[in-house]
Amino acid sequence: MDPVSWTWFLPEAFLLGAALLVFLLDVLGVEKLEAFGAVAVGATALSLLAVVADLGFTPLSFLSTLPPSVVDSGGGATSLYAFSSLGLVFQGVFLSSALLVSLASLSRPSHEKGAAVFYGLLLMATLGMMLVAVSADLIFLLLAIEVTGIATYLMVGYTRKDARGLEAAMKFYIIGALSTALSFFGASLLFGAFGSTNLLVLSQGLGGISNHSLALVGYAFLIVGLGFKVTLVPFHAWAVDVYDGAPTDVSAFLAGGTKKMGVFAFFLVFIGPLSILTVRAVNCTGTVCIAPYDFRPTVELTLGLLAIVTMTLGNVLALLQKEMKRMLAYSSISQAGYMMIGIAIGTAPALAGATLQILAHVFMKAGAFLVVAGVSALGVGPLIAQYRGLGQRRPYLGVAFALMLLSLAGIPLTVGFVSKFILFSAAVQASTVAGQSFFFWLAVAGLLNSALSVFYYARVLKVMYMESPDASVPLDGPAGDPTGGLGYGRSAAILLAVVAIVALGVYPQPVFSAIQAAATHFVASGA
Amino acid sequence: MTDFVVAQFVGLSAALLGIGLFGILTRRNFILLLIAIEIAINAAVLNFVYFAGFATGPGGVSGQAAAVVIVGLAATEVAVGLAIVLALNRQRGSINVAEATTLRQ
Repeated sequence: MDPVSWTWFLPEAFLLGAALLVFLLDVLGVEKLEAFGAVAVGATALSLLAVVADLGFTPLSFLSTLPPSVVDSGGGATSLYAFSSLGLVFQGVFLSSALLVSLASLSRPSHEKGAAVFYGLLLMATLGMMLVAVSADLIFLLLAIEVTGIATYLMVGYTRKDARGLEAAMKFYIIGALSTALSFFGASLLFGAFGSTNLLVLSQGLGGISNHSLALVGYAFLIVGLGFKVTLVPFHAWAVDVYDGAPTDVSAFLAGGTKKMGVFAFFLVFIGPLSILTVRAVNCTGTVCIAPYDFRPTVELTLGLLAIVTMTLGNVLALLQKEMKRMLAYSSISQAGYMMIGIAIGTAPALAGATLQILAHVFMKAGAFLVVAGVSALGVGPLIAQYRGLGQRRPYLGVAFALMLLSLAGIPLTVGFVSKFILFSAAVQASTVAGQSFFFWLAVAGLLNSALSVFYYARVLKVMYMESPDASVPLDGPAGDPTGGLGYGRSAAILLAVVAIVALGVYPQPVFSAIQAAATHFVASGA
Repeated sequence: MTDFVVAQFVGLSAALLGIGLFGILTRRNFILLLIAIEIAINAAVLNFVYFAGFATGPGGVSGQAAAVVIVGLAATEVAVGLAIVLALNRQRGSINVAEATTLRQ
């Protein structure tokens, strides 16, 4: 590994500097909300470009912050961080969601209080996610998750006047603290079993293992603690209330951004040579000698069952919802189930499929929440039935929302189809290996669930296009506003999401081949 | 270390975690809930300190360092929790968790 240089962390430094700048401007009495928004958009966009450059996109190579020799070189047995190309892909995912949300938030009402706090916390939360993507140590990983967690608890309740937002913040905080306690307890047991918290040491059993039951129980605690973050059933109940009660732009960030952080934490701990699951034979240490033990089948089965339960329950409950935000929240839970398929299987194609699904989910789900936020600012109520006639009165907005929902349902020519296709075919491919026929049923469950999900997305489309508009709602926005009351920032964010959904759906090769290479490398050599 | 000694110590920290979880699940007063959260997090701290005694080489130091860092983290968590309690108390004049039921299931 090259000698450490501070320039490697420039994308993270941009975010930290921007967050501090926002708080400083607020203290200095700056009242122009656009200034805060501009700092946030600028920092996330710049970091995003740097991360894309680090991934090897030549036209931007002048922005690159990492020497190519550092990427995928792996961390040592004592290093806290390591730059893997899959981690960089995830940094891109996190930054895209932060960029979409901060761009859309430029259109917030100019009299609203707390904008500086909102942007500052958004940048801090993004910083935490970026650090998760480069971590190579369990304690570093959990602390980075906490940076994001603490920032997002406050984001949910930042308005302080809104009773629903505060209640959501309270629930989010209690569940978040619970998951923190469980994750750290799991990490402490793993430390007891392996004598280190370094992921490389854990994975290869470098220091030997003193107690298998400690390790297995530690793993169970980590699955539960991280499962809360990823909203796996049965640890999902908080998500619906929080996504429902939070300001809708914050819901977009939670569903589109911070949830993926948990998924990448699963990647780091459970997949590849960096995971303890590859410990197949353990040397005797001292007088204590323990037979080799393979954790993999147990953990694969657990994660696979969690994936099936999560997508099924998420979809069934989404079918029953009458409110738009709650429906989107349950659909977000079921999408977490699809992502878990990739983690349960753990082969390179499955990992690539899950990563593409995660990238797609940023644009589909965050985009959908941003549309909902814009539509409710126009005066439309929370119920799905109140969206009637939206497609007729606002044709462009209607098409954008319809595309996001179709992509969530997995209709061809959208990125949602491509990612599900790759993910499910990877599951079928993995099931041909002897002793792993269980994976075939993961693909079957995923397909059945996709079919089920079409019902509730189609119901929204029917309300939007087949029913006559509610004349009492001023859907057109103020006269003379070319964006029809949405604002330029939000319109740009929605447009960006739609372009990404269609472009990645029609021509996914360039992005997907980069993801594929990163996933192959991740499985082969670890972070 | 023998399994028996490990079981004794892990049993202690598991009991601490259990007390914390029980408090988180049953307490209705937000302040008591915060205390329960602290107890649950401290179970992990105790484990790190204990296991650090067995680790040879650099592992022992990292275990003790992790314990100190987690203590700091727990303080941060509670500070955020108290901020939420204050806002809740201003909003509805009560810090009873069970009364917050605006969001329907």
